[in-house]
Amino acid sequence: MTEDRQLVSRALKGDRRAYEMIVRKYEQPLTSYLSRMTGERETALDFAQEVFLKAYCSLASYRPAFKFSTWLFKIASNHMIDHWRKKKLPTVSIDQPFEEEDGPMTPQIADPGPSVVRKFELAEIREKIERALEAVPETLRELFVLRHVNEFSYEEIAEIKSLPVGTVKNRVFQAKELLRRRMEAS
Amino acid sequence: MTSCPRAEDLYLYLEGELGPYHARKLEEHVECCEACREALEERRLLHEAFTSLPPFEVPGGFARSVMDNLPEPEVRRHGWLAPLVAAVAALSVGLAGFNLFTGTSISDVLVALNGFFGQAVAQAAPLAIKTFKLGGLILKIIRDLLTLGLNGLATFSRVLGPGGIALAIGLTALLAVLAFFGARRFLHQGEGS
Repeated sequence: MTEDRQLVSRALKGDRRAYEMIVRKYEQPLTSYLSRMTGERETALDFAQEVFLKAYCSLASYRPAFKFSTWLFKIASNHMIDHWRKKKLPTVSIDQPFEEEDGPMTPQIADPGPSVVRKFELAEIREKIERALEAVPETLRELFVLRHVNEFSYEEIAEIKSLPVGTVKNRVFQAKELLRRRMEAS
Repeated sequence: MTSCPRAEDLYLYLEGELGPYHARKLEEHVECCEACREALEERRLLHEAFTSLPPFEVPGGFARSVMDNLPEPEVRRHGWLAPLVAAVAALSVGLAGFNLFTGTSISDVLVALNGFFGQAVAQAAPLAIKTFKLGGLILKIIRDLLTLGLNGLATFSRVLGPGGIALAIGLTALLAVLAFFGARRFLHQGEGS
């Protein structure tokens, strides 16, 4: 964290190599997040480039009291929101049931159902998760990715998304149960 | 036996986010509830998969291409422009205010200001030149005195030799001590009378 602050401070003084070190450090987690959000490899790389450019141009507004990673991902998250707005993607309210191929499905799932995933090997489960993730509404998917792919704490995700911690926990849970249901159905 | 835990708590337990009290309660429950034990095992497997999803493979030259597309850092070429604009703006506001409150036209004010500054410069310039000349003269005198003193000391040390210099230093120290005590005695007598 201190290293990030030092790199930012150097980059602000015009040291481009310091910013390149930041890019190298965050290119992988950022593209991992963006690829799951866009579902397309090339788009993820283009978006990552745009996010690094936005971050560079607004580097002076970064406050060292916060973690650089959460600041960067906040920019990335806002970039995704802009993208969805432009594309006018159909968004699914998490308070409303949404349609599945085999009938309506409510995101709020609580009771532990019968075991189905045991039959899959871990690698196979991962593949199924990746496929199922694409169908999860973006509001839930984003929080799931930030938590389990980028390994942010619930508090950090709450900061990135400006949401209460309880809401973040609940939505991550909903995303997981949706994934589980989809895998059961497959 | 306690009631079955919520599915959300199973995930929070696996993530270590449940808290020690609730975690212990859940463990106790799971020991005696087969359905929950199965549910927990299923979520454990899923949790393992969630937390080990493969990272995105970034192409080798990605960072370089990001850097190539960044704009050049802004160089402040006209750092003097902002203060100049501010000064001109302040002067304009001042003149307008003066015109508004006194009724004097701006051209009269500018003429008066020109006369005032012209007079000030006419008086200050000869004084500054004289001060500069006097300062130079004083510095020259000090330099000459120092050169003279150093030359005198050099000649003195050459004539006396090392033994003579030691003797001179000793005598000077003795004279300084005597002068110090003599001065103190003189001052005490002055206070007594």
